[in-house]
Amino acid sequence: MLIELKNVNKTYNNGQPLHVLKGINLGIDSGEFVSIMGASGSGKSTLLNIIGILDNYDTGEYYIDGRLIKNLTEKQAADYRNRMIGFIFQSFNLISFKTAVENVELPLFYQGVSRHKRHEMAMQFLDRLGLADWAGHYPNEMSGGQKQRVAIARALITQPKIILADEPTGALDSKTSEEVMQLLGQLNKEDGVTIIVVTHESGVANCTDKIVHIKDGIIGNIEDNREHRASMFGANTIMK
Amino acid sequence: MKDLFTEIWESVRRNKLRTCLTGFAVSWGIFMLIVLLGAGNGLMNSFMQGRGTFASNSVSVGGGWTSKPYDGLKAGRRIRLDDTDVALTGSDTFADHVDKVSATVGTSATVSYGRKYFSGYIDGQYPAAQEMSKIEMRYGRFLNDKDIRDSRKVVVMPESTAERLLDNGQGVESLLGKYVKVGSLAFRVVGISKSDRMRNDNNLYAPFTTVKTVYGKGQEVGSISFTTKGLDTEAANDAFEKQYKAAINLHHRAAPDDERAVWVWNRAHQNVQMSQGRKILSTALWIIGLFTLLGGIVGVSNIMLITVKERTHEFGIRKAIGASPWDITKLIISESISITAFFGYIGMFLGMLTCMLLDKTLGQSTMSVMDEQIAMLVNPGVGLDVAIEATLVLIIAGTLAGFFPARKAASVRPIEALRAE
Repeated sequence: MLIELKNVNKTYNNGQPLHVLKGINLGIDSGEFVSIMGASGSGKSTLLNIIGILDNYDTGEYYIDGRLIKNLTEKQAADYRNRMIGFIFQSFNLISFKTAVENVELPLFYQGVSRHKRHEMAMQFLDRLGLADWAGHYPNEMSGGQKQRVAIARALITQPKIILADEPTGALDSKTSEEVMQLLGQLNKEDGVTIIVVTHESGVANCTDKIVHIKDGIIGNIEDNREHRASMFGANTIMK
Repeated sequence: MKDLFTEIWESVRRNKLRTCLTGFAVSWGIFMLIVLLGAGNGLMNSFMQGRGTFASNSVSVGGGWTSKPYDGLKAGRRIRLDDTDVALTGSDTFADHVDKVSATVGTSATVSYGRKYFSGYIDGQYPAAQEMSKIEMRYGRFLNDKDIRDSRKVVVMPESTAERLLDNGQGVESLLGKYVKVGSLAFRVVGISKSDRMRNDNNLYAPFTTVKTVYGKGQEVGSISFTTKGLDTEAANDAFEKQYKAAINLHHRAAPDDERAVWVWNRAHQNVQMSQGRKILSTALWIIGLFTLLGGIVGVSNIMLITVKERTHEFGIRKAIGASPWDITKLIISESISITAFFGYIGMFLGMLTCMLLDKTLGQSTMSVMDEQIAMLVNPGVGLDVAIEATLVLIIAGTLAGFFPARKAASVRPIEALRAE
């Protein structure tokens, strides 16, 4: 198991205590393409943040590759995030005053990779995502789809074990959404990257091989979706 | 390193106006610090120049009046120094601390040359007096050992004294080798010294032995001067003086602890006081300067706080993709130091320029105090040491200014930072 959660609980204590995750047990194997689906407030984003070591949990155990992720210092957490996890966000989260290639380079900068080397690698990844010509452009000069592809390049550049995508199509139109999901699927098949997508859109979830339903902080049924028939609108379509 | 500066430049470039405004406050602070210290140095140099006429380790001794009865003799007795005191001063008893000994004996006399004359004072000196009293020679030489040994009738006079014996327009050097009449005897002029406003300008220096024999002073000595060595602290000076006074007093049958039987004027004390004064002045100026700088530092800290607030989301992104808290802290603190140092150096440069300007203007003007021309500022400006200290101050100030904002930025959890906008 690449990712293993055992009875993970999380409570937010902002005034009224809010028990968001009520004993999550989940295992994800290496090379899986999984979506976590649920309505807003179901706890899916919290779960993703815990998997991404952006947030900590109260009780239970969480392992990545057999390593217990608990009570890490900020420095350790930053290092794990840097080396093991690539993030793709709904709002892209590119740094606005850096060009596309500089954005892609950034994770390598924090690994201490030399200037020349990381530029070369960033260009490779941008080229692979068809953005080589846009390397010198700033995020506000690019379309939503292009920005998300830059973000994907940034997530991939450290060659992480896991890609976490939080509503990756949330800010994109249906056509671009489809492209992005296809791209993720392709990365999963070709490179064998484990991808976890959090979404509330069944169409997006349908693009993945496994759908984990979460409701009120508890994992519901886990659908095998290798046939991609979960969407009532048929395979390979995204309903917006 | 280059990456760090690129990041800083990117951040500063986006906020030019506010960075410059805050930077101005830092520049102003350092500017004030440098100008204050520079002017303070100029003032102190001016004082030092005024009192620089005696070697700082020289001691003068003269006769006084006893203030207490001792050995059957009543108080109020006049003490006159004599040759034995000179010998005692130079003896093995004080060899540890006494370096060169010199004595003077003098008398008033009419000095004339051709038709010109004035009432002067002939001062019997030893060659050592040149060093002790910092007598600078203009022409010729000062008295030497041979003059003393042979009791030669030679004389050294200050420039201003020489001028009084000459017609207008005649160079003082023309007097060299000529004979001037002192009283009824002719003395050959062997040297002209630089005139010194701190001393009487109707003094003439002649060999001690000559004055003593010619004017029949017998054993009597006007005053004894000597230079000291190995007295580094005030306490050591005090102890030495006490011991010295006791020895001289006993020789004249005065109480060893009689403070007034002989007077001892030790310049070391003044020196200590002077350097203390200098220290106090420069401390006061540093404090004023640092408080002026404080305004600038608070300003920098303030904009760094705003920057941190504005960039919280960005820091969230950086943390999510692997920036450690130290990476973020480093970014903020180095930005703070860069701003402080950059504008600080502008201020320092302008401050030094102003000091040079002060030197050119106020430094050249003099004021008249008791008929003496005293320069108001002598060599105002700061040395390399102050520049280095100021650099340290800037770096520390920049670190302090960035510290709290940086800690704030580093402590925000990535998940919260990402939510901020």
